Amino acid sequence: MADLKITGLHKYYGSMHAVRGIDLEIPAGEFTVLVGQSGCGKSTLLRTIAGLEDISSGTIEIAGEVVNDLAPRDRDIAMVFQNYALYPYMRVYDNIAFGLRARKTPKQEIEEKVQRAARMLAIDHLLDRYPRQLSGGQLQRVAIGRAVVRNARLYLFDEPLSNLDAQLRDEMRGEIKRLHQELDKTMIYVTHDQIEAMTMADRIVLLRDGRIEQAGSPLDLYERPATKYVAGFLGSPSMNFIPAQLVSQDNGLAVRLSDGALLSLPADRGNRFSRHRDREVTLGVRPEHISRAADDALRPGVVCHEVTIDLVQPTGSRTYATFLLGGVETVAELKAHDVSAPNETVKLALDMNRVVLIDPASEEVL
Amino acid sequence: MSAAGALMKPRFSDKSFRYQLIAPSIFVLLLIGVFPLVYLLVASFQGITMIDNDTSFHGVSNYAALFGDTRLWEALLHTILFTAIALPLELVLGLMMAQLFIDHMPGRQVFVALLVLPVVIAPIVSGATWSLMFDNRFGPVNQVIGWITGEEATLLWTISPDLVYPAILAAEVWQWTPFMFLLLLAALSAVDKSQLEAASIDGAGYWRIFFRIVLPAIWPVMAVAVLIRGLDLFRLFDVVWALTRGGPGTMTETISIFTYVKGFQQFETSYTAAVALLIIILLSVVVILALRRVGLAR
Repeated sequence: MADLKITGLHKYYGSMHAVRGIDLEIPAGEFTVLVGQSGCGKSTLLRTIAGLEDISSGTIEIAGEVVNDLAPRDRDIAMVFQNYALYPYMRVYDNIAFGLRARKTPKQEIEEKVQRAARMLAIDHLLDRYPRQLSGGQLQRVAIGRAVVRNARLYLFDEPLSNLDAQLRDEMRGEIKRLHQELDKTMIYVTHDQIEAMTMADRIVLLRDGRIEQAGSPLDLYERPATKYVAGFLGSPSMNFIPAQLVSQDNGLAVRLSDGALLSLPADRGNRFSRHRDREVTLGVRPEHISRAADDALRPGVVCHEVTIDLVQPTGSRTYATFLLGGVETVAELKAHDVSAPNETVKLALDMNRVVLIDPASEEVL
Repeated sequence: MSAAGALMKPRFSDKSFRYQLIAPSIFVLLLIGVFPLVYLLVASFQGITMIDNDTSFHGVSNYAALFGDTRLWEALLHTILFTAIALPLELVLGLMMAQLFIDHMPGRQVFVALLVLPVVIAPIVSGATWSLMFDNRFGPVNQVIGWITGEEATLLWTISPDLVYPAILAAEVWQWTPFMFLLLLAALSAVDKSQLEAASIDGAGYWRIFFRIVLPAIWPVMAVAVLIRGLDLFRLFDVVWALTRGGPGTMTETISIFTYVKGFQQFETSYTAAVALLIIILLSVVVILALRRVGLAR
């Protein structure tokens, strides 16, 4: 059964059409990440689910109940805000207990639940402090504690980690995911950070201009993007897009780059693309699918190409090498010591089993 | 001192130079603040009246007389009465208005500007205007009441003992509620909206959100607003003077009017000095206690 069902949702701010027809079903217990660039409508969508924004048309159902006209307090949801939104004049304990008190929970039960939530988030030693006495990471934990202490139907997270520094963000990411596994609650998480989306989600809903561009499991979206936008959004460094032409070669297909290089496609993939023969395409190659060509025989579907490296960016574990491929700046994620200096000419291997071909006109993946 | 040292250390870090800078203001402060106060203190122990410039030491006779002066204590009571009624009214009305205007709406700026107009009018002008408004024969107030009741109204707003208080309070509240409104609107606008949203999602109703989240957030501003208005009300003069001159009899005489009448109409200078000192002490105690209570004097 769907825990949250959204049908035909539209939201206008004056003449601005922020959410343009969203249909979405989220099964109970799932961790769904709404991801997209700023202004894509992801936060608005979350706020309409919370009831903080009214909707222009469509329906929102939580556990089978239409909540369109219910006030936030009657929707039985919990939410974590980007700026924490802790109550500054209350101690941490009272912050966490606020929702329970508002719902007339017995005192004894409040005490137990607050203590349990605080222990779970390792903030039980901070309960007597005021928010102004806490660090960013601690504030975030309290904000999460305030949400999870309540047995809500739905947990909403609005970019909760974006105010934290990088290291803390990595840590909290794991913690929120663990929390989801422990609580087994339906959670909806909004972020603009594709790494957060990839690492945390059971399912990613990628939004663009108020519409769902693609929804699915993280690896599904990563490996089988439906559009150029999805392909480019997920992954870091992002996918390389190289203009090319799909041409016949021997008894199979190949892509010809603008510099004339022919990269042959594996036979099994060739069949899928045969009806697009002799058309302009965009070749999409992920940086990690380009490697330094070994001297011995190549695996099937892997083609070799010689390039001159422009820029070398070592990260320690991997090295990003930038070069021109088909007239376009292309990044390859190589092993740490595969290249050492710019202007080096190296032979690179492209895994054509993993590339995507995109229709340049519709920007859809073929 | 070396050349480099002279460059690094600007002249005005010199201690004496700092004192030179504040000296003029200290001098003015002494002249217009401390000197009159001292003079007041001296005069209150003398026997100066209109007909007798008696500067000999009279002991505490003026202060002793304070206790027996029922008109003084009544004036104090009237002042407290005005303050006790007008202050909560202005606060609550101002707060309600601010709540209404907290959401942005078309024409908000114009409405706010119009609402704040009474504050920019000089109190004595406002008092004179209200005096015309309350005129028993030609005033619009009686006119409107007449329209509503269907018969000619000749209510004696500034004379009838039952009506003078409502009349003065109406004028006072009309003029100064916008002041509260403006300060509280600013305070309310500064309340973090996501805290209110978080509370509403947490299941809190309007009043719980108001008392637990909004009120603590606007409390410092509200306290200062109450303090300012409280002090103003304690010195209430203009509106009352314009409407009733403290009458009928001394029924609406405030402490300021009493002091004025005693000092500048009856010229009981030394006695008035004692009264003034009493008021200063009273107010100082109230202000210090209030500041402590609000936590501003820490």
